[in-house]
Amino acid sequence: MDLLKLERWLARTSHAVSQHFKKGARYLSGFFYFRDVNTNNIQIPEEHLFRNEFAKAVAHLSAKYGHNNLELAEDAVQEALIKAMQVWPYDGIPKNTTGWIVRVAQNKLLDQLRRNKKLAFPESLPDTQDDVIEFNDDLLKDDLVKMMFACCNPTLSEEQQVILTLKILCGLSIKEISSALLKSEEAIAKAYTRAKKKFKEEEIDLKIRDVKVISSRINVVLKVIYLLFNEGYKSATHEQLIRKELCQEALRLNRILLELEKTNSAYTRSLMSLMCFHTARLITRIDANGVPISLEFQNRSKWDRRLIEEGNFYLNTISHDQINEYFLQAAIISIHTNSRTYKDTSWSSICALYQRLYNMKPNAMVGLNHVIALQKSAGATIAKSHLNSLAKLYNYKKTPLYHAVLSELEIDLDNLNLAQVHLSTAISLTKSESEKLFFTKKLAQLFDGNASSKS
Amino acid sequence: MKQYMYLFRGGDEGYTNLSPEEMQAHMMKWTEWMKVISQNDDPVAGAPLHGGGKIVKNSGALITDGPFAEGKEIVGGYVIVEASDLEMAVDMSKACPIFDFNGFVEVREVVGEN
Repeated sequence: MDLLKLERWLARTSHAVSQHFKKGARYLSGFFYFRDVNTNNIQIPEEHLFRNEFAKAVAHLSAKYGHNNLELAEDAVQEALIKAMQVWPYDGIPKNTTGWIVRVAQNKLLDQLRRNKKLAFPESLPDTQDDVIEFNDDLLKDDLVKMMFACCNPTLSEEQQVILTLKILCGLSIKEISSALLKSEEAIAKAYTRAKKKFKEEEIDLKIRDVKVISSRINVVLKVIYLLFNEGYKSATHEQLIRKELCQEALRLNRILLELEKTNSAYTRSLMSLMCFHTARLITRIDANGVPISLEFQNRSKWDRRLIEEGNFYLNTISHDQINEYFLQAAIISIHTNSRTYKDTSWSSICALYQRLYNMKPNAMVGLNHVIALQKSAGATIAKSHLNSLAKLYNYKKTPLYHAVLSELEIDLDNLNLAQVHLSTAISLTKSESEKLFFTKKLAQLFDGNASSKS
Repeated sequence: MKQYMYLFRGGDEGYTNLSPEEMQAHMMKWTEWMKVISQNDDPVAGAPLHGGGKIVKNSGALITDGPFAEGKEIVGGYVIVEASDLEMAVDMSKACPIFDFNGFVEVREVVGEN
């Protein structure tokens, strides 16, 4: 589908789809929650149940008793989960796990608050028994979103936002976060303590119902979700399950935003679409030895059709006046994911989309990707002259991708010696082990005179 | 078949720093092990016990905070299983997940008619 067609098609379908979407969103966002819970007479909990319950309960209790009680809420929920771990093997997993965890955690939290108050001032708190827990799914989602916005307070650094989100909303431990972000446990623990301190100072009065707060902060929230996703995506090797799970967590958080009307924006849906397409290809990106496989040689039959359909669905909900950065990125990948073979790829559409993306957000890397598409659609000569003009704007000398792209162009222009030089430079510059393997393999092919295996 | 009681002692201290994901995995180990030792579809009889309690002596003339044993050895729960003899009961206990956290199992025969 070329860009013109894509646009026409978008204009035609967006209204109908958005109507359909309004009815279908709830069902679709529940895609991954259905699970057979009774196998061979053993109750098997949902995958990551404890993790998700941790997030729900901490978000709920913090919303109810104030974000300044975050630590107490965390401790109380941790204790409640330990209790669940001890009791459920005897009694079975309760139907309403969230209700169970929240009730136990709330009692523990109130006990602790009462103890603290006794020390400070004798103000009475609601009695544990009388305090009926009033919550439902919608309220819980609200609490979760509130917590997401709190963790993404713009006064926090990006790293702090990511760590808070992983700890509180994804229920990861410090140790798990450290292996997910490839940092030492000590560094993560310190960063978390600092982030929490700031979190408590800033978030006392967060009014999530305030439309202004939502619109001013939703993009920070989405950025953190995308950062989280990229952390998992960029180096999701087979050994590191936790990093692959980051992608799943990012999808899960985005789904929560989609479930609430006030946070279900064109941006949210575009990002969802983008991450669906990326995730659909996740397992075909790396071979058994951890070497990246280029798009041309990925096994398309292994791409996850259901995720691609979900990506298409969200992409189709975006109308002309809602086009944004995430949408354009998603549209670019959609051309790949919806092409039956590599040969079918409409490079001219990809080129046009990159041009629009670049116009919207001029940036060195988008420029390079545009050059790659230009090479495929208009040829190496035109692509090289465009790259030369970009090189005047950006300092690409230390960018591995720049040299890799140049190498590809030189192959097309039959300058194999130059191609080898640039590829060697790319190898020496890259910090990624898997990228190094990828370039090295390519270089070996070049030396073999096997210059036809381009990708 | 005779009945044996497993008393689960200790192990709790290791739980404090578990991540939710690790807790879920540990819970599943217990659930699966309990399925194995029950040897049929009925759930195994037993209960988890709170850490705290009271020791009552002399018809209540002496009441102290209990249990006595050192923290590490407090009974955290019990189950009753069926086995042909003590050896088999001991064998069945060897896969208990409590060993992951340095706890231990006390195996005791329930006094029956023979």
